[in-house]
Amino acid sequence: MRESKRQDRDAEAALLRMLASGDRAAFEAIYRKHNAAMVRFATGILRSRASAEEVTQDAWVSVLKNIGGFEGRSSLAGWIFTIVLNKARTRAGRDGRSVSFDGAGEDDNLAAAFDGRGRWKDMPELWEEITAERIIAGRSVLHHVTAAIETLPPAQRSVLVLRGQQGLEADEVCAILGITEGNMRVLLHRARLTVRAAVDGLA
Amino acid sequence: MLSCKEVAQRASAMIDGELGAWDMLQMRMHLAMCKGCERFIGQMRITRGLTEAAGEAEAEQDADDLRISAILSELHEGKQTGG
Repeated sequence: MRESKRQDRDAEAALLRMLASGDRAAFEAIYRKHNAAMVRFATGILRSRASAEEVTQDAWVSVLKNIGGFEGRSSLAGWIFTIVLNKARTRAGRDGRSVSFDGAGEDDNLAAAFDGRGRWKDMPELWEEITAERIIAGRSVLHHVTAAIETLPPAQRSVLVLRGQQGLEADEVCAILGITEGNMRVLLHRARLTVRAAVDGLA
Repeated sequence: MLSCKEVAQRASAMIDGELGAWDMLQMRMHLAMCKGCERFIGQMRITRGLTEAAGEAEAEQDADDLRISAILSELHEGKQTGG
């Protein structure tokens, strides 16, 4: 674990040098890794795919412009998503909206699944047929998963994208979104429950 | 003894390896006897994997030469005019 983290850091340092020197292939690699997630993250905040794409493009320009000043206090991904969030916040502010990730008032979808003694009313299904490759109603299971993620409230969606898809460390996700670790775990769990329910509907 | 509801609430923490030893033991005891919860934990593991895979699938489809060029040219314009 520690060894692989050190390797990650070394690889990141090499990537940073290439990015700072204007290497197009290095930029393409990092763009490919994060762009779709940046758009998904920003869309959750702005509720508009077109605005999110503009903000993301803007964020990339900032990333490249400021890459020389990146000091490695967070991971590169953490730094990039902080820039996206700042751009999205500014954009939302211009539209007269504020952005917060406390997720208060959001509920989970299992409330009705249990009886008064906390037992399952209906036994969960065994998902023998669910695989990433399976096609249901003309779309792969993964498309249904993405569609479910797009319905999530902003806080849950942000946590799921950063932690569950881009693999950022828990403390970094908390720092970016300004939430506690306990809050983050609740949001991640609720987000997964929604995705689980969508997949369960396909089973 | 945990109820099924309590097991479900701890499902993400369990599959993410974030439960302490005592909580983990309680979960194991319940799961050894409860097929429903065992299935539910299995579903949550699959959900976690599908979520990761959905992110990767989208990233793979997302290499747009035009947009990459637009970003790079905006960057260079900024450098020239912005000083």
